[in-house]
Amino acid sequence: MTKTTKPFMAFQNETDSFQIGDITVENRLDRISIYGSLDITKDKRGLADALVLKRIIDASIEEMKRDKNLPDKIDILQTNTVPNPF
Amino acid sequence: MKKITSLAVLLSLSLSAAQTQCANIYYSNNAPDILNINLTQKARELCYSAYAVMHSGVARSPLWSAEHLYGSRLNTKVERSNQFHPEDRLPKDERSELADFSKSGYDRGHLAPARDFSTEQSEYESFTLSNLIFQNHDNNTKLWADIEDATRRLAKANGELYVITGPLFIGNAIQQANNRVLIPTKIYKAIFDPSTGQGAAYLVDNAPGYNYQIISIAQLENISGISVFPEMSQRNKSDAMGLPEPKARSSTPNAKYDSAGLREGGTSGAVGHNLDLAEKGLKWFYKKGF
Repeated sequence: MTKTTKPFMAFQNETDSFQIGDITVENRLDRISIYGSLDITKDKRGLADALVLKRIIDASIEEMKRDKNLPDKIDILQTNTVPNPF
Repeated sequence: MKKITSLAVLLSLSLSAAQTQCANIYYSNNAPDILNINLTQKARELCYSAYAVMHSGVARSPLWSAEHLYGSRLNTKVERSNQFHPEDRLPKDERSELADFSKSGYDRGHLAPARDFSTEQSEYESFTLSNLIFQNHDNNTKLWADIEDATRRLAKANGELYVITGPLFIGNAIQQANNRVLIPTKIYKAIFDPSTGQGAAYLVDNAPGYNYQIISIAQLENISGISVFPEMSQRNKSDAMGLPEPKARSSTPNAKYDSAGLREGGTSGAVGHNLDLAEKGLKWFYKKGF
């Protein structure tokens, strides 16, 4: 249950999840999911939120730039069909 | 002959409320009754500090998560940072792993939502994979998020609710991720208001879009093979209580029943196949030989 003062390791795990206002950010191996809505208010709270968001975006960009084999499009693993056990 | 035996099992199961080890989660401490005996294979109950799970080792997925929602619990807003994690209490061959979700294109969708919890421990516990299903991203982040909000609004307005949230696996063929985890076809959130004895459920496809239905607990029972609120009278089971519209985000937290954006049981604006579903539920019972 560590708090996120540690650096955000974009695309490095499937475990991180955190909130910025009503935005949820989830780290995945093939994407960073950002959903919900956020007012960046012009006050100290808004600045703090904007900086966290910037850190996430920056880390994501850096990681993708580093990837020499960045694909045009990610691959989604196929599911298979099985008989309903229920 | 086989039919009679199955029916006897069904009746004996449904006549007594299910035993539970998880205290203070279920209404009157009575867990749902599983009527479809196929669902009982490798089914294990997991108790957490503020909710409970019934997990299927066959699906490697929860069958439901149960919560007792009440106003004071929902008033605390926590800034959450958390970690998705596998459930170590489940046998390795019965549980999902983070790797099963990787590159699947699906969200790890909470059954008991993180925002329903007000302590660090209980919130962390909601990130266990035993509480998470393969959920369509659009569904999880829009319609379903709004249904979760609407449910919290109703709990605040009415004081308390008992909520059972679960996936459904409907049809002859089911999609499976990573050759391991079954992907739900539908998702429900069943709500029971102890002050009136009434209840109803939201039902959605595990798919993009904003189509949802509000169905009676009796209809849900037919479709799911689970009696989610065994304590309810037959009459109340058949009569869906009004549930708030997901989109009607009321800004007044103390809004009373009507201003909680209440809508009557029935179908939402966009779709209309209530009867069709009920029929499918019945067909399911016949298919299973009950």
